[in-house]
Amino acid sequence: MTAVMALEGVAFRYPGAAGEALSGVSLGVAAGEIVALAGDAGAGTSTLLLVATGLAPRLVGGTLTGTRRMPGRCGIVFSRPWTQLTGLCSTVGDEVAFGPASLGLAREPVLASAQRAMERLGITHLAMRDPAHLSGGELQRVVVASVLALEPDLLALDDPAAELDPAGADALYGLLPALAAGGTAVLVATPDLERAARVATRVVVLAGGHVVADGPAHLLEGTRVAAIARAAGCPPPYPPDVPSLLRRVGP
Amino acid sequence: MIGYLAGRSPLHRAHPYTTLALAAAVLLVAFALTRPLEVWLLVAVAAVLAASGGGEVLRSSVRAALLLSLPIWALLFVLYGLLGAEPRLALGVVSLSAPGMARALVLGGRITAIVLGFLTALGTTSPHRLVEAMTASGVPFGRTFLLASTLTVLPRMRDRARQILEAQQCRGLRIGGSPLARLGALGPLALPLILGALAEVDEQVLALDARGAGGGARRTALEAPPDSGPQRLVRWALLVAVIVAYGWKFWRMRG
Repeated sequence: MTAVMALEGVAFRYPGAAGEALSGVSLGVAAGEIVALAGDAGAGTSTLLLVATGLAPRLVGGTLTGTRRMPGRCGIVFSRPWTQLTGLCSTVGDEVAFGPASLGLAREPVLASAQRAMERLGITHLAMRDPAHLSGGELQRVVVASVLALEPDLLALDDPAAELDPAGADALYGLLPALAAGGTAVLVATPDLERAARVATRVVVLAGGHVVADGPAHLLEGTRVAAIARAAGCPPPYPPDVPSLLRRVGP
Repeated sequence: MIGYLAGRSPLHRAHPYTTLALAAAVLLVAFALTRPLEVWLLVAVAAVLAASGGGEVLRSSVRAALLLSLPIWALLFVLYGLLGAEPRLALGVVSLSAPGMARALVLGGRITAIVLGFLTALGTTSPHRLVEAMTASGVPFGRTFLLASTLTVLPRMRDRARQILEAQQCRGLRIGGSPLARLGALGPLALPLILGALAEVDEQVLALDARGAGGGARRTALEAPPDSGPQRLVRWALLVAVIVAYGWKFWRMRG
């Protein structure tokens, strides 16, 4: 498979930082792949997303070395939905249409893209609502729809379910396989290893800015959550998911 | 409340350029007028403008304008009225400077008219309609965002300040008491307010750029607010009024 986005020996240092946030990172993401980025705080997962989407160093500053091949169009979703709103749109429909309108497309294709994105996220009923009056979960779905309306080749998500309730998080992660099936490359940095293991086609584990493991989802067996579950005597899979834990607890 | 207040008044329905032109005209004419009566007539015009935005806009604009202007009036009264030049007027036990009071009335009136005009424009101009109007006019997004963000920054900061205050009060911060104690409570409010706003702006810039805002393409206006011949005429008339006001000012200065 041809990688939509590829990094080869990439190192990145934030402006004024003493050390590198990323070091010697080589990673490719192909169309249709869902790559989960796992790692402790400070491992470099969020930085990797900024580099992969081209926001670092262009907007963030700092220095980048190594080779980076960028996709045609990137979208990024951060964890806090309210910081990603334009603050200029009075309805959800306008908010979702903001991205395509910024590309200078004609009015009809802009509205059609926004409509498709809202349908994919199941938020067409919110189209006329004021984004300022939505719940956190609804807002994050609006943000994801706003990014999808751009029809990105690479969708990067940085802990996208941090502000969502369990049902909202399930719905969000459940959407990723459908996106990938449509040809979008998905890169998701998350501490939610249970949900990541459920949808990821590949897992990349980072520590101290280095890639320490890159392989299929069962790599997550080596994570701390898995170790705790194993030590607690939980049966596989590692890390455990809710159904397996419920089976363990019994009726 | 300072910020946009939804409504159906003629000012709400007007093209955003018209409401902004009205506020700008009040600002410019205020500096062209030099006599207390003229300036306070302009304050009356600004109040009528606020009233045409509906009851809620009038109430909130007048309240906010008074809150902002009163300390300045007090300062002007002391500086010009009490400490001003001769001749002086005796008002009971108080002696006031006649030219100083005239000057204070002009300066205070100007500030009140300008503040009232801009609060009215702020209360009746939907940031979204303004963005759409500017987009339709081909104004680059950076400038549009700068102006629209300026219009929305006060309500956003006020909401954030309220959240921070509530959180700090839960952690034992006391905001009542003497003026000194109230001043002391500003520290725990100001720092998180400013740092939080900076951090959010940082993330918002990244999010907006990823949504094509910094791409340089001319944005598509989806619902450009309708403009009309009479509104364009009003804007031209305002320009003429400003020119006439300055012409009159310079003619009087020469005379």
